[in-house]
Amino acid sequence: MGIRLKVLFVLLVTCVLHQTLFAALRWRGVGPHLLLLMAVAGAMVGEADRAAVIAFLCGLLTDLFLQTPLGLSALAFSLVAVGVASVQSSVIRSTWWIPPLTAFFASSAGIVLYGLLGAIVGQSHLVRPVLLLVAVAVGGVNAALAPLMVKAMSWAMTDRVQSSFAR
Amino acid sequence: MAVYRRSASPRFVLLLLVLTAVTLLTLDERTGGLGVVDSARDTARDVIAPARDATDSAVRPVANFLQGIIHYGRLEEANTRLREQLAAREAELAQVADAQRERQELLDQQRLEFAADIPAVAARVVLASPSSLDMTVEINRGRQSGVSPGMPVVSGAGLVGRVVDVSRTRATVVLISNPTSNVGVRLASGEVGVASGRGSRSALEVDNVDPAAKVAPEEPVVTSGLQQSIYPPGIPVGKVRTARVPPEGVQQEVTVEPFADLRRLTFVKVLQWGAKP
Repeated sequence: MGIRLKVLFVLLVTCVLHQTLFAALRWRGVGPHLLLLMAVAGAMVGEADRAAVIAFLCGLLTDLFLQTPLGLSALAFSLVAVGVASVQSSVIRSTWWIPPLTAFFASSAGIVLYGLLGAIVGQSHLVRPVLLLVAVAVGGVNAALAPLMVKAMSWAMTDRVQSSFAR
Repeated sequence: MAVYRRSASPRFVLLLLVLTAVTLLTLDERTGGLGVVDSARDTARDVIAPARDATDSAVRPVANFLQGIIHYGRLEEANTRLREQLAAREAELAQVADAQRERQELLDQQRLEFAADIPAVAARVVLASPSSLDMTVEINRGRQSGVSPGMPVVSGAGLVGRVVDVSRTRATVVLISNPTSNVGVRLASGEVGVASGRGSRSALEVDNVDPAAKVAPEEPVVTSGLQQSIYPPGIPVGKVRTARVPPEGVQQEVTVEPFADLRRLTFVKVLQWGAKP
């Protein structure tokens, strides 16, 4: 199976899980954001340009099920993915705790960025004190799920290029 | 060993993606609920609906079980309290049955039951918002059941929200606790105001209440139904939690606790009111 097909497969599975199982398992309205995690994981294991495109698609799928304008999550996720990929490129030696830590900070940043960009395009209700709390909570849950997602994305995005987190 | 292949043009790709996103944002904003963007949203929701239904049936018992574990201490406490209450209520049952009969007679006579004359579509809440920042729920009725954007949604306790998005088989309801929600309300004292959402765990905030008005805690609040209101008049919204006049304030600070338990909605009714079919 080619990289594109594998990524598409992971994207669809992640989207269905995000919209069904993980949308139902929430605590006080907050749960993991699997599509954001996929965008971050893609940036951890792949090249910046490819990660940005995957993150954009993850964001578009997220936007399809929200009331906020289409393209808002796509924009936020792409920026986060490029940021993660840039930082990731400077990692010389990987350890087991880097993916969860990266997922925590990147997911939190993604939520905050989504809120801030939303405020710019007229969704001012997204920026309120609880945003930071939600960002940290989503970051924490995504961090716990990061090893699994990184493995999935390593499988999907590995062809000739071997990721530092593939093993 | 960590291997990183230098990307050809990540900045160029990012620029293209940003431009695409901005185009989509503009397109979505300009079309204002019409066009390709909404069709895509409707289709996506209809496509994922069967999977959501299946997952809901499978996950609900597990979620209930997990919540039971998390809240075990509280549940045990509540159980003891409920047993005591049950004993007391059983003694009152005979009186209640009589009162119920009288109340029903009154309602039949005076048609006081809220929104009784408005046609409604019963629906089940199938999912909370996939976003942690939106206070919305999805219901299992859509366009084919006669649901349209703008229609008010109520539970047995009172106002829940209004429909904002409809696909063929599903509809999204923005709850009154959502920060974008504004409801024209009337207090028992006759004062009118606008109740705005402040998040899922906060009471509604009522603006424009005269500082001279006497507002008492526990006072019931209903929809005002003033001209061009998106809600019909007389639907119970909640009860006053706090009311105070700030020093040199031009309006009272009134908060209202919704009657409907917006975090545990199961069945709701969509009132076919106001919105064009």
